[in-house]
Amino acid sequence: MPRTYTDQSPVEERLAMLEEQNLRLARELAELRNQDALKMQFLSNISHDLRTPLTAVITHAEILRDGILGGLNGRQRESMLGIIGGCHQLLDMVGEILTYARGAANQLVVTRTEFTVESMIEQVRALSEPLIMKKEQLLTIDIEPELPPLAADRDQITHVLSNLLNNAIEFTPKGQRLWIRASRGAPSDHGATVLFEVGDTGIGIAPEHHEMVFREFAQVDASASRSHHGTGLGLAIARTFVELHGGRIWVESILGQGSRFYFTLPVGATEP
Amino acid sequence: MSVSVLLVEDSALVVGALHLLLSERGFAVQAASGVREAIEACRHKVPDVMLLDLSLGDGSGLDVLAALAAPTRPRVTVAITGHDERRVREDCLRAGCRDVLVKPIDSMTLAGRISDWLAEEEHRVRA
Repeated sequence: MPRTYTDQSPVEERLAMLEEQNLRLARELAELRNQDALKMQFLSNISHDLRTPLTAVITHAEILRDGILGGLNGRQRESMLGIIGGCHQLLDMVGEILTYARGAANQLVVTRTEFTVESMIEQVRALSEPLIMKKEQLLTIDIEPELPPLAADRDQITHVLSNLLNNAIEFTPKGQRLWIRASRGAPSDHGATVLFEVGDTGIGIAPEHHEMVFREFAQVDASASRSHHGTGLGLAIARTFVELHGGRIWVESILGQGSRFYFTLPVGATEP
Repeated sequence: MSVSVLLVEDSALVVGALHLLLSERGFAVQAASGVREAIEACRHKVPDVMLLDLSLGDGSGLDVLAALAAPTRPRVTVAITGHDERRVREDCLRAGCRDVLVKPIDSMTLAGRISDWLAEEEHRVRA
């Protein structure tokens, strides 16, 4: 005959109840993890599938823009450029959601190659140059001489630096200063490091929001989110990429006085 | 005679757009929506160029290349993918693709690139 709680001592009874609770919590945790994995799989699938129709829209719009089916007048061409620009912005957002979903599902892989800090910063500068020129900002680049080459995932680290620079451009008024600095950082558990800094003289971030900006879907305040048409994933993805390399990312900022975003990267090829 | 292009892509929307773009640029364009259809099309008539989407309803685009022996292989195969990843690129090049294009494909340069790939292939065969 099975024992009931009433046959047990108070301690045994309590122990049995706790074991039962533990089992229930373990089942609930497994169920939540399962639901989370399904949600991430859905995000990953939907973002991948969104690229296909967007590709078709962009190609058709480019066919019209390039006059393959007949010439356009100036206003028609301008409208077509608006369609193409909007589609590319949407594609970037879809790409961010896909990266975020992969990161959350631990599916991101670091493919390391060796490259110089100078070449990577130059690549990022060239990509952002049109935006900087449009806002008439002054970008200065300061790289410590003879930095060792990095053995890292170039695409991921370029994405981090681009994201920080584009945020600096976006949240800094017209005509003001931006800078990128790279120098030797303090050695970490993974050996020698390089310290990157992306700074601006823009609107800044209040101290209570310094940690929050790296959380997914974070929008610091309503005015910032209105002018910033992103997914709210950019800095969360940057943090994921940096941490995958065994580095660290943080911000120092005073509201109204600009921001300085820093990240460190171990130089060597050893896995974190 | 115009250069023949086989588009292997399971999205009718993308096929429609690329078909229009390439035929307006003077290419003879055919489409296949999956692995089996692409293999049959190549065995029937080998195209000069195959633009091969990697993610197809009945398998991977690279299955098409794996199934085609030398006489039925297009002179140039170029992969099309939504995944801008070094690993994907390396897999494609190892499987025999000439290049990898990431969606959305730059329509301004596609026709020129097809001609360049064919010229390079011609040069390689002669050398």
